[in-house]
Amino acid sequence: MKKFVTLSSILALTSALSTASAATTVDYWLWDSAQLPAYQQCAKDFTKLNPDINIKITQKGWDDYWTGITTGFVAGTAPDVFTNHLSKYPEFAANGQIVDFAPWIKRDSVKTNIYLEGLYSLWGRDGKQYGLPKDWDTVAIIYNKDMLKKAGISEKTLNALKWNPKDGGSFEKVIAQLTLDQNGNNGLSKNFDKTKVKQYGLLNPYDPNPYGQTGWSWLAVSNGFKYNDGLYATKYYYDDPRLAETIQWLTDLSLKKGFLIPYKDIRGLGANSQFVAGKGAMTTDGSWMIKWYIDNAKFDVGFALLPVGPTGKRTSMFNGLADSIWVGSKKKEEAWKWVKYLGSPACENVVGKYGAVFPAVNSGVNLALATHKKNGADVSAFTKTAKAKGSTFLFPITDNASQINSIMTTALENVFLGKTPAAEALKEANQKVNALFK
Amino acid sequence: MTVQTQPTQARKNRKSMAWEHFLAWFGILLVILLSIFPIWIVLKTALSSSTTLFESGGQLLPSEPTLDNFKRVLGMVTAEEALKAGGSGQSVNFLKSIWNSVIFTGLIVIGQTFFSALAAYAFARLKFPFRDQIFTLFLTAMMIPGIVLFIPNFITIKNLGWLNTMQGLVAPYILMTPFAVFFLRQFFLSIPRETEEAAVLDGASPFMIFWKVVLPMSQGPLATLGILTTIGMWNEFFWPYLIGKDESVYTLPVALQQFQTQTPQGSPDWTGLMSGAFLSIIPVFILLLIMGKRVIESLAFSGGK
Repeated sequence: MKKFVTLSSILALTSALSTASAATTVDYWLWDSAQLPAYQQCAKDFTKLNPDINIKITQKGWDDYWTGITTGFVAGTAPDVFTNHLSKYPEFAANGQIVDFAPWIKRDSVKTNIYLEGLYSLWGRDGKQYGLPKDWDTVAIIYNKDMLKKAGISEKTLNALKWNPKDGGSFEKVIAQLTLDQNGNNGLSKNFDKTKVKQYGLLNPYDPNPYGQTGWSWLAVSNGFKYNDGLYATKYYYDDPRLAETIQWLTDLSLKKGFLIPYKDIRGLGANSQFVAGKGAMTTDGSWMIKWYIDNAKFDVGFALLPVGPTGKRTSMFNGLADSIWVGSKKKEEAWKWVKYLGSPACENVVGKYGAVFPAVNSGVNLALATHKKNGADVSAFTKTAKAKGSTFLFPITDNASQINSIMTTALENVFLGKTPAAEALKEANQKVNALFK
Repeated sequence: MTVQTQPTQARKNRKSMAWEHFLAWFGILLVILLSIFPIWIVLKTALSSSTTLFESGGQLLPSEPTLDNFKRVLGMVTAEEALKAGGSGQSVNFLKSIWNSVIFTGLIVIGQTFFSALAAYAFARLKFPFRDQIFTLFLTAMMIPGIVLFIPNFITIKNLGWLNTMQGLVAPYILMTPFAVFFLRQFFLSIPRETEEAAVLDGASPFMIFWKVVLPMSQGPLATLGILTTIGMWNEFFWPYLIGKDESVYTLPVALQQFQTQTPQGSPDWTGLMSGAFLSIIPVFILLLIMGKRVIESLAFSGGK
């Protein structure tokens, strides 16, 4: 029975995994490891100001993160404060899982006009406020400078492209010109062999989801499409023919013409990895990835404005993150202090200096631009779009996000894989989506 | 092997024998290659630098071989450097996770084998009311897919306040699994009764018989069960993932999750993930080297799991 005795003693030992500390510890979660160093710095500064509060930061990958948050709500193990996303927060708010800041904002007279326009209201509903903005992002073209030089396309040309869904405009011409087959013919040549593509003109991330943030939203909206009629609308317009022709144009560009990497090749690896591996000349991505591209590409990376669409505008989604507090937190006051600090210029300037994302306050944005400039990167394509009037549209926030997500993902994947025509798939998906609100 | 035939016959035989040998070896080599190939790809990816990984997808040798990924996994570089290396900037607390995995696996293997043996012996040899009905219930329990038990088990563990603790991690497995009980019972039934009767005549209690006679005679199947459980539990992911949300109780498979996608449109950190995966294979691999023969015997013995 010796074995058995040691067994119970081991059990006793392992259960003694408690840590003792005098100060209150606030648990804070985020998903983007690129932002971790910046927020660790913020936490250090915060604890200097508030010696009685420690911040314990946990970072988990995107999928794991949301599983952890949602199971944590139920199991009572969710963090006190966590980075929230616009596609997720309405459901948390509807289920009463996150704290409404409105009374506290009033009580502590927190300045809410310091943020870039539109960011603050994204996080509110019916007079309630579920987050304080901490950063924002827009989308731009990311390109391989060497490939562009070889093709003889100037950066000026690239920043002044026009697109339409009929013939693709000058945008499609440039994509074709940047596509090379194994014999060195580009997409404009008669001898171009689309079965043996060596270098794609565009590596679109496709984004088969209800938002298409980096994949198709900037094309569709510049073609006059809109998702719905604004915050918490109860009707979507996914059956708009202007969306269908956009999606179809993308699909044909890949499956019929071979200028765009096929969706099946993007699925597992992601467009970003393929881009840094030199598989294509351009990709489109959000500003939170700037640092990643600069760190991971062995060639010079450039950033250019998105093309102008049939509406005469170039458009990009304008999206932002905020921090929320879990209703079940036992340290709400300390958590609120931390959230306030995260949304204050003090922390946002630190985040700006690290250059991982664009902070939600203007002073931080300028610091971020300066940091990138110092590293030799001109990322003004992202900020120009954010500041141009009528250029940005907001992330579509409504109820039923997770169901809409599964409906739209299935529909769009089928289109991108060439199984169903866009018009048909989107019409059907839109009916299903709108039925959710009835 | 000796073949006794006429000399002429022998030559013919030798010829066909050689041919058969060649075929057999060829077949074995092919299977070995097929099974080693995925592990090689894991190792190749682990040794590649993340920036060049996708340029050399089809190559068999790593491009720009580097040990950086292993260093990253073992936390020998700072987060900043790891990010520069194309990683997720995350290092797994590898030693802690290995330790957790060892404790988790060890506790379960010892506990499950011992308690299952007790139950199996009761079913095989002791007489008590409704014994056979209870055993039928047991066998029925084997038919329940594990996945449906996760939610009730999770709620139980939560109500016990055992989330993020080692006892919460091992609780569903440490006492028994129907398979283990069934497997050992079959073996105990085959032990000749005479030996036990002799022990009874010497005045041994049922427990003494179990402890001094039956267990020593069943070392083979007990070891088998231990090895099978070890391999299974070392790789167990879902339960530890549900219960252990805190880094202090991550087992290895859960810790490797850190290399997942870091941003909504990002891609996983493949090189880091593969280094971690490769390192996590090593302990089980060593176990198989030492106990390989036993495992093969036991699999044949148990008819595979």
